[in-house]
Amino acid sequence: MQECITKYSGLVWSIACRYVKNQTCVEDVVQEVFTDLWKCAKRYDPAIASESTFIGMLARRRAIDFVRKESRRPQLEPLPEGEFQGHFSSEPTTVIRCESGDVMEAVKVLPEETRQIFFLHFDEGMTHPEISEKTGLPLGTVKTRLRRGLIEVRRKLRLDGGGDAAQPSNSINS
Amino acid sequence: MNDHDFRNRFEELEAGRILGDLDAEEVKEWELLLKDPRCTRDSSLEFAAAAVEAGFLQARKSEVPRGLQEKLVAGIAEFVVPAPVNVVRVPFWRRILSAPQVAWGVAATLAVLLAAERFLQDPPSVDPVRSGGVVMLPAEAKSQLMQKASDLKETEFGGLADYGKMTGKVIWSDAHQEGFMTLTGLPVNDPAVKQYQLWIVDPKRDEKPVDGGVFDIPATGTVVVPIRNPVAVRDPQAFVITMEQPGGVVVSKQQVVVAIAKAS
Repeated sequence: MQECITKYSGLVWSIACRYVKNQTCVEDVVQEVFTDLWKCAKRYDPAIASESTFIGMLARRRAIDFVRKESRRPQLEPLPEGEFQGHFSSEPTTVIRCESGDVMEAVKVLPEETRQIFFLHFDEGMTHPEISEKTGLPLGTVKTRLRRGLIEVRRKLRLDGGGDAAQPSNSINS
Repeated sequence: MNDHDFRNRFEELEAGRILGDLDAEEVKEWELLLKDPRCTRDSSLEFAAAAVEAGFLQARKSEVPRGLQEKLVAGIAEFVVPAPVNVVRVPFWRRILSAPQVAWGVAATLAVLLAAERFLQDPPSVDPVRSGGVVMLPAEAKSQLMQKASDLKETEFGGLADYGKMTGKVIWSDAHQEGFMTLTGLPVNDPAVKQYQLWIVDPKRDEKPVDGGVFDIPATGTVVVPIRNPVAVRDPQAFVITMEQPGGVVVSKQQVVVAIAKAS
């Protein structure tokens, strides 16, 4: 477990910082992510996702969940909070390749304009409005391209598309 | 909406949900589509998003604040599954060494004897313990703790009732969350019938004592038993050994209290 913290706390921290701006809240989110991880570690299956992807998913969920809860306060708009409570409300039916090289290859072959938005969002950590302002694209276009880009990346990473997945290491539930 | 359009629309909304960019109207639509029997959900889209994010971020080395790293490590304790029963068997030379009249803590002597044991390839009959990430014998681990811990507390055990002849000591470090009992004269137990169990009394944490692990005494003499606390102990005021059913209990009725070591 300690090895896992050493290996992935930086990644979790980076993801949390991307979504949550207050440092104290970031620390809370990071701690919640690792609590989630210890609770569901036995359900981790290295055949379905690499460690970094699995932990990255937990971190994204927690961070986005935090932001949604925060933003909900003034809006009083009901959001599907329950969806984020259980981590495995749906079992993955499609196994994808999650190794970093495969993922970056899949991003590389996206259309240029989508790739640029991907880079600004996932690498630079820009929000949709920030991307819209920087690129001059309407906000709706930014959203649509990101969504469709993600669907396309998933399609390219699908194992049934013919690729072979390397078996990732497992320090989570070892 | 035909099946194809339904799938595409749900997939797009699902992507939006994963990216955290659904607006209120889309949330309602997503919830509605989710109830449709044609809806089949799949975590692979979320894994793909996480893989992309991790792929970009892993190239950037981020330093986690030191204090947070320590909190994360300290938090592990709550989720550690108690180790299997620790059967302690004491080789003859170790029993002699462990006798009260011998300077058990003399590190040089211990080192020589351990080296001799390895040289003679006498297989260790004591279950190893993990201390500071290193697997070692309980006596070695105890010796190391004594060297590295500056906050070591040492308390003597006093046997009760039928166990009045037993003697022993417990050492504990709050900082390292590690401790050992050195017990002499406890009756050998049959693990299939009953087992010893240690309890740690830490009123600052909880009024109920913390389970310190189940252990056996397989031979007469002195044994070193590691304390296995699944949760963090901050300021132990007493250590209590009880006799329990095989495997131990979650809450002791304290029907058979074997010994108590009370902090002065």
